[in-house]
This record gives sequence, structure tokens and C-alpha cells, in this order.
Amino acid sequence: MLERKTVSQTKTKRSKISKETKRQLLHYMTLSRRIEHRIERVLYRQGKIVGGVYVGRGQEAISVATAIHMLDNDIVAPTHRDMGIFLICGVSERRIIAQYMGRKTGVTQGKDGNMHMGDLKHNIIAFVSHLGDNVPVAAGAALTFKMRGQDNVAFCYSGEGATSRGDWHEGVNFACVHKLPIVFFINNNQYAYSTPIELQMPVKDVADRAPAYAMAAEVVDGNDALAVYESAGRAVDWARSGKGPYLVEYKTFRMTGHSAHDDAGYVPKELFEEWARKDPIERLQKHMIDAGELTAEGIESMENEITAIIDDAVDWADKSPYPDPEDCLKGVYHEGR
Amino acid sequence: MSTAKPSTSKEYRIEAPDGLDLGKHQFVELYHYIALNRRLEERLSILYRQNKIVGGLYSSLGQEATSVGSAYALADGDFLAPMIRNLGSYLVRGVSAKDFVAQYLARECSPTRGKDGTQHFGDLSKGLIACISMLGALVPVMAGVAMAMKHRGQKNVALTYCGDGATSTTDFHEGLNFAAVHRVPFILVAEHNQYAYATPVSMQFTIENIADKAPAYGVHGEIVDGNNVLAVYDATRRARQMCIEGKGPVLLEAKTFRRKGHAEHDPADYVPKKLRAQWEAKDPLDAYSRFLLDQGVATRSEMDDVDAKITRELELAVQEVLDSPFPDKSIADRDVYFSARTDGGSHA
Repeated sequence: MLERKTVSQTKTKRSKISKETKRQLLHYMTLSRRIEHRIERVLYRQGKIVGGVYVGRGQEAISVATAIHMLDNDIVAPTHRDMGIFLICGVSERRIIAQYMGRKTGVTQGKDGNMHMGDLKHNIIAFVSHLGDNVPVAAGAALTFKMRGQDNVAFCYSGEGATSRGDWHEGVNFACVHKLPIVFFINNNQYAYSTPIELQMPVKDVADRAPAYAMAAEVVDGNDALAVYESAGRAVDWARSGKGPYLVEYKTFRMTGHSAHDDAGYVPKELFEEWARKDPIERLQKHMIDAGELTAEGIESMENEITAIIDDAVDWADKSPYPDPEDCLKGVYHEGR
Repeated sequence: MSTAKPSTSKEYRIEAPDGLDLGKHQFVELYHYIALNRRLEERLSILYRQNKIVGGLYSSLGQEATSVGSAYALADGDFLAPMIRNLGSYLVRGVSAKDFVAQYLARECSPTRGKDGTQHFGDLSKGLIACISMLGALVPVMAGVAMAMKHRGQKNVALTYCGDGATSTTDFHEGLNFAAVHRVPFILVAEHNQYAYATPVSMQFTIENIADKAPAYGVHGEIVDGNNVLAVYDATRRARQMCIEGKGPVLLEAKTFRRKGHAEHDPADYVPKKLRAQWEAKDPLDAYSRFLLDQGVATRSEMDDVDAKITRELELAVQEVLDSPFPDKSIADRDVYFSARTDGGSHA
């Protein structure tokens, strides 16, 4: 698990990203890719997954290089393509695999599947299926920070499709009116299920929506992990220093269907080919090799380390029991403490 | 009845936009609608105090020019969905003062036959979609009406209103976004009257103008003086033309002020007196009367004739309604749910 700094320990030097930070970024991005690969391409096909599978293939830089800026007591509201956030926040690979396999040891103890999980011990608000619904929820968390005088930030994620939803609009407007410490990370992967962006919104960039709320915003290459890291740092600093909400739009591409059952036949092949060349993990590896910060052996040993982690997690989860019927109602409704 | 006084240089004055296409008859007709809107609401206010109104009473005092000017720019086949402060829009589309009095007094002869009160009624034969209480909810409805027009290849537009408060709602965002994605002939008149019930705009959004939201939806946005009936008419007419040419939707922001409380029961103590006084000085009826006199478009006696006609019409309407019955309980469930008709009957 990543050691999380407290607010007072932060420094804002972004001009030079350390080798250690880059290594962490690469590790978590690769771990996300491999764990999702194992779930979607292996376990799902073996019939071991309960329910659907949604992955963030090709979008790992966004989840990882933003959430890495989280400090103690910050809160995050992820989407279903943000595996990296769960990993960075310290949810164990074992519990994640068990979650997908519907086991008692999973994050929701077998009550829900896949990314429909949260864990407040790890500062993660459970993902809401209805995309955009997490925006007012995260805004509420940010309001709490403001009322309590905490120097914390709410990290809120959504796709470009969700920005056409009323929840998104109401949540963003509320956050702006009350100048709340929140960052809206928009994962613009160009398809909302099968709806291409031009049928989703009448503007070129999601960031074009920000002036309607007098909100700071920028557009960033979401497949460039270092650019994501730097922009997220700026945005989080902005929100943490009391300047109000900030929106960062990350341009990326969904290198898969909406879910494992969707072959995305509606997406032109050329788009997949074009974006395969922009793979965020390969780009970061190349950058680090060129900078003398990584070797081919280094990549191999990282891959081996990750494979071992996942093997262990799958093995552990597979041995875990399914939930007992009598636990069915536990943890569903609030129980007085 | 008009309170117009001789002009002084400090007075709020309105001007006719360049290229205005109105003749004398239309100038006077606009005066008629604004004055009727004002006097009818004054009469309703009296009836409310006499406890004769069933339900609430919402006033458009100070905003009459926006309702009248925008509705006046529409053509046959266009559809309009008024809100609670658009009594003038109904009048322009041909709803009578008597209909309003009957509706507020919940009589059987009213448009909803006493089933609903206030301005919660429509009339499809007049191109009027019924007002929805939930503010902002008309935006997706009218986006849908506009979409039908586009599909059918009609050269028509759909128009509705929203307040500054409604711009913060889901429906505003989803409806306008949908309309913009599909480029439908839709005009959204945002009446920036500065209070959403008791919430001032500074607590409502973070921008100065509602029109500043237009680029977020990739639509044309424009600000117009909502107290100048001629400017509102002209801006709506141009917006209509853009929509007909496939360049819609248009977001038209009318700057105005809600001079009364949210409803008759609300004294609006939360509104600073000075702010209210500033806007009283910009009264749209007075300003338009002055314009007509100053420009020599109409004489004082012509306007007096209109006023006298309105007075007679209102007296008659109130008397007739007071003499008419409440609905019979036997019709309580009639026209509430849709029932397939074979007689070609229409909804009143």
C-alpha cells in the first residue's frame, strides 16, 4: 500500500517528478492493467466472475496519476473504470478479486459484484451505478470539509457521458456556488456505452462546460501519465487552497466495450488502432527508459512481482467461501454503532 | 389609468430596436396585452384578499413585457409553454381574462373545469402546453415538442420560459443539452428576475448572466432588456428565425425583476427595499406608455380607450364567473386520465 502523506507534509514541486513517483505510477498502472486482464480475459471466461466486468484498459494513467495526489482524509468517488484508485487507496488485491468472484471476503462480502464497492476506511465512496450520481455525493463530502475547516479535497470522477446528466449539473453548480474543495476529473473516453461524443454533447470539450459555472478547467492528454500527474497536482492544490472547484478533462479512449459482454462493434477499428499507439503504460515505460530511470530487466521484474501478487490474490479468493444466507441482511441497512 | 408622466432625462426609457417590423395596430395591441396582464393580476389580487381564489396566486408584476413580447413574436403552429409568471403569454395566445378568473376561482367553466388552479392549464388548440409546477421541467418537454417539429419538417418553433433558479435544475441541463445536440427549433427564454423564491442569484449560480451558460451547450445566447417589450419581441423574432434556419436552439436571457413575492402569501421581506425601488422605476407598462407618447405612435386618449375597454372586460368577467357554479362532483374523474377517443374530441 502506498504510504499516504498528511496535509502538512505536502510540497508542490511538480516541475520535476521524481524517479520514485514515476516508478509508483508505472507500478499501479501496470497492476491495474494486469488485474483487470486477469478478471476480464481469464476469470470471466472461466465463469468464475459473478455479474458483469467493466475495465479501464487504456485509461489507467487517469485513475492512478490523479489519485496518487490524495492525502490523509481526502475522499474519492470513483467510477467503474477506476481500478487504479482502489489499489492506490490500499484496498487489497485479494479483496478485489474476491469481490468480483462474489465471495464473503470481498469488499461487499458477496452482496454486490465488480466495481460496485466502496470502503470508507480507505476513503472511497462506493460507486453509484447511475453515472453522474456520485457528483452531488462528492460535493456533499466537500461541503463537510469546508464546514469543518478541514484542508481536505474530494476527488470526483465521471465520464463525458455523465456530464449530460442532471446530477452532474446540479452537483457541479452546487459545488461552485459554495466554493467547495473538490476536483472533477473527467475521463473523456469518447463513448458513453455506444453513444459517441457528438451525440452526447454539443461542445468540443467537456471543459467548455466549465465557464457556465465560472469554474477553472483544463484539457489534458489522459494517456500521458506525467501530464496527468502534473495537472492533477495543480487542480488539487487549487481546491485545497480554498479557491473552489476545478475541472480537468482527460482525453483518452475506451480500449474495450462498455463491459465484457459488449464487443463494441459500433466503434470504428481505426480508432482502436490509433489509440493503441498511444498506450499510456508503454509511453511511460519508454519515457523512463529514455531517461535512464528504467531498464528492460526492471520492467520484467515489475511484471513478475505483479503476476505473483495477482496469482496470490486469485488463489486466496478462490479458496474463500461464498457468503452465508444468514449474512444476507448484514451491512445492508445502517446499524447503530 | 396609466401612470405615465411627462418624460424627464433621468427616467428609464425604452427604444425600438433597429428594423422593428411593427405597425400602429400592433404597437397598440402590445399595449393592450401588457395593460390587460397588469390589470387582470391586480383584479386577481383583490379576489385573493376577498378569499375568493382557490389556491395560490402568482404575479408577474414588472415582468409583463417579457411574456407579452416573446409570445407576440411567435406564429401559427408554434408551441409555447408558459410558467406561473407568464399570464401575458396566455393572453397573446388567445386565452381570455374570463378563463383566468374562472380558473383561479375554480369554477366549472374554467379551462380545467375546476380541477386545478392558478396557471396550471394549457390548451393544445391554442398551441399552449400546460405549465408544470416543477420549475425547469418544461425545458425537456418543449425540447421534445421542437424535436417533433424537426422530424415533421415543420417551419415552427417551441418556446418556453425558465427562471434564474430553474437553471440550476436537472431538467434545464438535460433538456437544453438534448435540444442542442439535436439542433431542434427551441427557444428558451430565461427570465432573470433575480430571486428563486427567497434565494438570490448569488446563491444560485456563479456567473453574472444566464446567457453565459449558452456556450456550454453550444447554442446562441443573447441578453435582452426584459422590461422593454419591443426588445423582447425583436430578440424572440430573430431567435425564431434562427431556429427556422436550423441554427437553434437559442437561449434568450431577459433581465428583469420580480416585484412581488414568490406568491401572494409571500411579503418578500428578504428583498432589499432599494433594489425593489430601482426596478419600480423601470416599470415596463409605464416605459412603454411613454414610448408610445414620445414617439407619437399612440395618443393618450387612444390608450385611455384601451384601458376603459379592459376595465369593462374585467368587470364583466369577474361578475360572470362569480355567478357561475363550482364543478359538480360527478365530473371529478373526467379528463384526469387519458382515455382513447373516437369522437375526435379535444382537450379544453
